Amino acid sequence: MTRRPSPGLIVGAVLVAGVVFTALLSFVWTPYDATEVQVADRLLSPGAHHWLGTDRLGRDVVSQLMVGSRTTLTVGLVASGIGAVLGTPIGVLASMGPRWLDRTVMLGNDLLLAFPGLLLAAMLAAVYGAGTGPAMVAIGLSTLPSFARLARAGTMQVVTTDYVRAALVAGRGSWWNARRHVWPNIAGLVTVQISLSFAIAVVAEAGLSYLGLGTAPPTPSWGRMLQDSQELISAAPLLVLWPAAAIALAVLGLNLLGDGLRDLFDPRLERR
Amino acid sequence: MSDPISATPVTRRTLGTLVIMSLTAAAAACDAGADPTTGRDSVNLGFLAEPENLDFTRTSGAAIPQVLLTNVYEGLVKLDDSGRIQPLLAESWTVSADRRTYDFQLHSNVTFSNGDPFTAETVKFSFERVKSDAWNVSVKKQMDILDHVEVVSPTQARVVLVRPSNEWLFDMTGRPGAMFTPGGIADLAGSPVGTGPYTVSRWTRGESIVLTRRAGYWATKPALSTVTFRYFKDLNAEDNALRTGAVDAIIGFGSPDVLPQLTADGFHVIEGKSNAEVVLAMNNAAGPLRDKRIRQAIRYAIDRAAVLQATAGGHGTLIGTMVPPTDPWYEDLTARYPTDPQKARTLLADAAPGGLTLRFRIPNLPYAQTAAQVVKSDLAKVGVDAKIEVLEFPARWLSEVFNKHDYDLSLIAHVEPRDLLKFGDPHYYWGYDNAEVRKLMAAADAGTLEEQTADLREAGRIVADDAACDWLYLMANLNVVRDGLNGVAVNSVGESFDVTTLTWR
Amino acid sequence: MLARVLLRTGVFLAGVFVASIVIFTVLRVLPGDPAQVALGVDATPEGLAQARAEFGTDRPLPTQYLSWAEGLLHGDFGRSYLSRSAIGPQIADRLQVTGWLVASSIVVALLLAVPLATFAAMWHRTGRGALLAGLSQVGVAVPAFIAGVLLVDLFAVRLRWLPSGGWVAPDKDPAGFIRRLILPVLSLGLIQGAVLSRYIRSAVLDVLDQDYLRTARAKGLRPYQAMVRHGLRNVGIPVVTVLGLQVASLLVSGIVVERVFVIPGLGSLLLDSVANRDLLVLQDVVMVLVFAVLTINFLVDVAYAALDPRLRRSS
Repeated sequence: MTRRPSPGLIVGAVLVAGVVFTALLSFVWTPYDATEVQVADRLLSPGAHHWLGTDRLGRDVVSQLMVGSRTTLTVGLVASGIGAVLGTPIGVLASMGPRWLDRTVMLGNDLLLAFPGLLLAAMLAAVYGAGTGPAMVAIGLSTLPSFARLARAGTMQVVTTDYVRAALVAGRGSWWNARRHVWPNIAGLVTVQISLSFAIAVVAEAGLSYLGLGTAPPTPSWGRMLQDSQELISAAPLLVLWPAAAIALAVLGLNLLGDGLRDLFDPRLERR
Repeated sequence: MSDPISATPVTRRTLGTLVIMSLTAAAAACDAGADPTTGRDSVNLGFLAEPENLDFTRTSGAAIPQVLLTNVYEGLVKLDDSGRIQPLLAESWTVSADRRTYDFQLHSNVTFSNGDPFTAETVKFSFERVKSDAWNVSVKKQMDILDHVEVVSPTQARVVLVRPSNEWLFDMTGRPGAMFTPGGIADLAGSPVGTGPYTVSRWTRGESIVLTRRAGYWATKPALSTVTFRYFKDLNAEDNALRTGAVDAIIGFGSPDVLPQLTADGFHVIEGKSNAEVVLAMNNAAGPLRDKRIRQAIRYAIDRAAVLQATAGGHGTLIGTMVPPTDPWYEDLTARYPTDPQKARTLLADAAPGGLTLRFRIPNLPYAQTAAQVVKSDLAKVGVDAKIEVLEFPARWLSEVFNKHDYDLSLIAHVEPRDLLKFGDPHYYWGYDNAEVRKLMAAADAGTLEEQTADLREAGRIVADDAACDWLYLMANLNVVRDGLNGVAVNSVGESFDVTTLTWR
Repeated sequence: MLARVLLRTGVFLAGVFVASIVIFTVLRVLPGDPAQVALGVDATPEGLAQARAEFGTDRPLPTQYLSWAEGLLHGDFGRSYLSRSAIGPQIADRLQVTGWLVASSIVVALLLAVPLATFAAMWHRTGRGALLAGLSQVGVAVPAFIAGVLLVDLFAVRLRWLPSGGWVAPDKDPAGFIRRLILPVLSLGLIQGAVLSRYIRSAVLDVLDQDYLRTARAKGLRPYQAMVRHGLRNVGIPVVTVLGLQVASLLVSGIVVERVFVIPGLGSLLLDSVANRDLLVLQDVVMVLVFAVLTINFLVDVAYAALDPRLRRSS
C-alpha cells in the first residue's frame, strides 16, 4: 500500500538533495579557492567575477557557501548519528528491562537533558580546542535524550500489547521480540527524529559559531560566515543574508522532509 | 467541514492584538524622551571588556584600571595625552643628585571619598602595601626598587629607591602608584575608596558601571556629574547602541569597516596612537624558530600592510620593533624588513630545504583570527605551512603558550606601556635571550634620561634585527564620538580612561 | 498512593545527590588553573599559591566537594573566584532576568501558536491550512539570533522605534523595561511559537479524530465549540510536555539573544564563567538548572499520577 507523498515531503527532499549535491560538487569544482585570502579584493559587492561578492578577507562567498555545505552536512549527520546510535538502544533497553533499570536510565537521561548543551560545547571546546569535532559531539549528546525518550515510548507501546505478551508467555525471549516487533515500530519514529535533529544540529552549529565555539578558521562553515559578517551588517548586509538564507533553506528542507516522512509512516493518518 | 469561523475567535484575536499594540504605543510614548542623547550633565560610553571586580591589587586585566584610575583612584603623578609625566596629588617634586631620593611636595586639603585625609602617611601606607602580600598581581614588581618612604611632614613625603631608576616614576602613573587609605580597603572588590573626583555609585554586572561625581574633591570638579561605562560583548550590539543613542561614544572601536556609515550621522572619529602592538610571537628557545634565518624569512614573507588592511581596515601604524611612536626612543625601523617573498624563499631554501610546518597557536580573539589567516596565506606563498590552532583565551592560551611555551608561532596584542623591556627577560614566552640587550636595558634604567633614550633605541634595533618576533602593526586608538562631546583623549598612553576631561559643548 | 509518592520523593532526592557529584566531577575536566586566569600574565608563584588558598582549590577534591555541598544545603553558594562577591545574589539576579525573558517568550509563543496551529489543523485540507503550516515551517528554519539581528536592524537602528538593547529592572522603570524586552522576546517567541505550533497542530489533528468529538458534533455543537469544550483540554497534556522541553532549550538558546541585546542573563554568566574558569559559579548555576529540571519532572510525574486514573493503575 503506497500513499502519495505530500507536497511538503517533495519540497523538503528537493531542498535536502540540493544541499547534498552542492557539497558533492564542491569536492570537484568551486569558482575560487574558498580559503584563499585576497586582501585587495575585500568586501566586494556581487558582480561578474564574484557572483555573491567577497568577505572581509577577500574570499569568494559562493565558494565558501559550497564548501561550507560540507560542514553543515557533516555536523548534522554526526550529531544526529550520535544521538540516534547512542540514544535509541538506551531507550529500548530501559523500557524492556526491569523497572529499576528503567528508572535509573531515565534519571541519567533527564540529567543529560538538563545539563546545558551550551555548557557542554564550551567545555569540550576548552579541553580540545574550538572546532567542528567538539561541537558535533556536544550537539549529539544534547539530542541523545530525545532519541532515548522516543525509543522508550515507542518500545513501551509495543511491549504492552497483547500479542507481544503472548509471545513472551510462549517462551520467545526479549531479543526476538525486540527485533521482530519493536524495531519496525520505532524505525519510522527514529528516522523522523533524525531528520529533525539534523535540523537542530545545523541551527546549533550556527549559534555555537556565533559564540566562537564552533568551526575554527580557516574551515568555511555557514555558521562562521554568519559570525564573521554580522558585525559588518551596516556596511555589507548581503554578507549576512547569504549564509542566513542557506541555513534557513537547509533547515526548512530537513523539517519538511521529516514531517513528510512522519505523515508517510503514521498509520493513523490514513484517513486524512 | 463547514466554515469554522464564527465571530468569537476573530474578535478575541483582534482584541488581543489591539490591546498589545496600545500597550506598546503607550509605553513608547511615555518613554519618548527618555534616552537623553543630549544630556548635558551625563554621558554614556561603550566598552568591550568589563572588569570582573574592582580590585586591581589582586586581579589582573586592563578593564579595572581603565575605569578606576584617575577617575576614582589617583596617584602622585599622571600621564598627559602625549605620554609625559604630570603632577597630580604631588604638587611638585625634586630628585636628589644621586637620583635615588624623590622629595614630593603634596597638595593639602585632599580627602578620600570616605572623608579620610590624604597625607604623607597615606603615601607611605600605599607604597608599602604594594610590596606586601596585600598585592597579588605581577605589576607589584615595579615597586621592588623601593627602599623606604619617610614622612617628613604631612605634606612632604620622601621616597628612597634602592638604585636610580628612570622607570619608577613612570610606573607610578599606573596601578602601583594609586593612593589607598587604611579606612577604605575593607571591600576593594566592590567599593573602591580613592581621592578621585568620582565614586562608583552603581554596578549592574554584565551591563554597566556608573560613576558619580562626589563633593569634596580637592581640585576643580569635572564637568559631568554622571559617567556610565556600558559594556558589550557583541560589536554589532555596541554599534547599534551608538546609533540609537544608548551610548554617546565608543571607546576602542572595533569594526573600522563600518566607520563611513557612522561619520555621516552626527558622529566623528578620533584616531590616535595606542600602546597595543599586535605581535606575531615566535618561540626563540625551542623548535624550528631557534634558527634566526627562519625568523627572518617569516618577517620578509609577511605583507603587513595587507594584514593591517584586512584586520583593521587600514587604521593603525606599521612599526618595525616593539616601540610605539609615543615613546621617546621611537625610531621608524619598518624599512629593515620590507615585504620580500623572494628573499624569504632564499633563506628558507638554506635553512629548511625540506619544507617547514609550524604550529600557529592563537587565542580565540577576533582580530587574532583574522590576522592569522592573512599571515598563514602569506607564509604558504613561500612554502611554510602554518597550522592554525585556536586556543580559548584566557585560560588555555595562558596555560599552553604563555606558561608552557608550547608553540612555534602565536599572535596577540601587547597593550602595556613600555613593553620593549619584556625582551630583556629570557623567561618571557618568546624565550629571547640576548645578553647585550639585557645590558642595554639595565643601563637605560639606571642612567640619565638621555642615556635611557639612546640605550633603549639601540635595544629596539637589535631586537628588530634579530627578528625576535614580527610586529604586524600598532593598533590605532579609535574612538567614535557623538558631535558635541569634547575632551575625549586622542592617544591611549596609560592604563586609565580619563573621564574628568569630558564636556558637552 | 502515599507509598508511591514517598518512593518518588526518594528517587528525586537520590537524583539530586547523584547530579551534584556528576556536576562537580565533570566540571573538573576543564583544563587550566583558575588562579592563573585570575592573576593573568606572569603571575608570581607566591601570588598563585595565595590565590589558590583563597579559592580553596589547593585542597583535595573530596574536601572541596563536601564543603561545596554543605554550603548548598545551607543556602550558601560561595564566592566567585573572579568577582569576589557572593554567588547567590548574582545567580538570583540573572535568574530573574532570564526568567522574564523565558516566561514572556513562552507567553508570546503560546499566543501565536495556539490560534495558528488550531486553525491550521481545522483547515488542514485546504489552502489556508497549508499556508499556515508553511508559515510555521519557515519560522522554525530561522535561528533565533538571526531573527534578533534582523529585528534590531529594522526596528531599532533604521526605524528608531525601540531601543537596541540593555536591561532595566521592572520596578525601577516599567516603561523602559517593557520597551527593552519587546525585541528580544519577539526574537525568541516567534521562533518558539513556530516550533510549538507544529506540535500543537499535530496534537489537534489527533484530537479532531477522536470519537467523543464527533459525538459532540452530533449533539449539535458547532465545530469551534466542540473544539474548545472537548478538544483543547486533551491537547493540553502533550503541549505541556513539549513546553517543558522548550524551557530547557530556551534557557540556553537565550544566550545568543542575550549577546545581541546586551541582556545580563544566566546564559552569559555560564559562558563567561567557563572562559574565566570560575568553577564555583559554574557548579552552582548548573546545579540550579539541573535541580529545577528534576523538580519540574518530579512534580509533573506526581501530577500525572494524580490526574490520570489510567496511569495510576498501570504504573
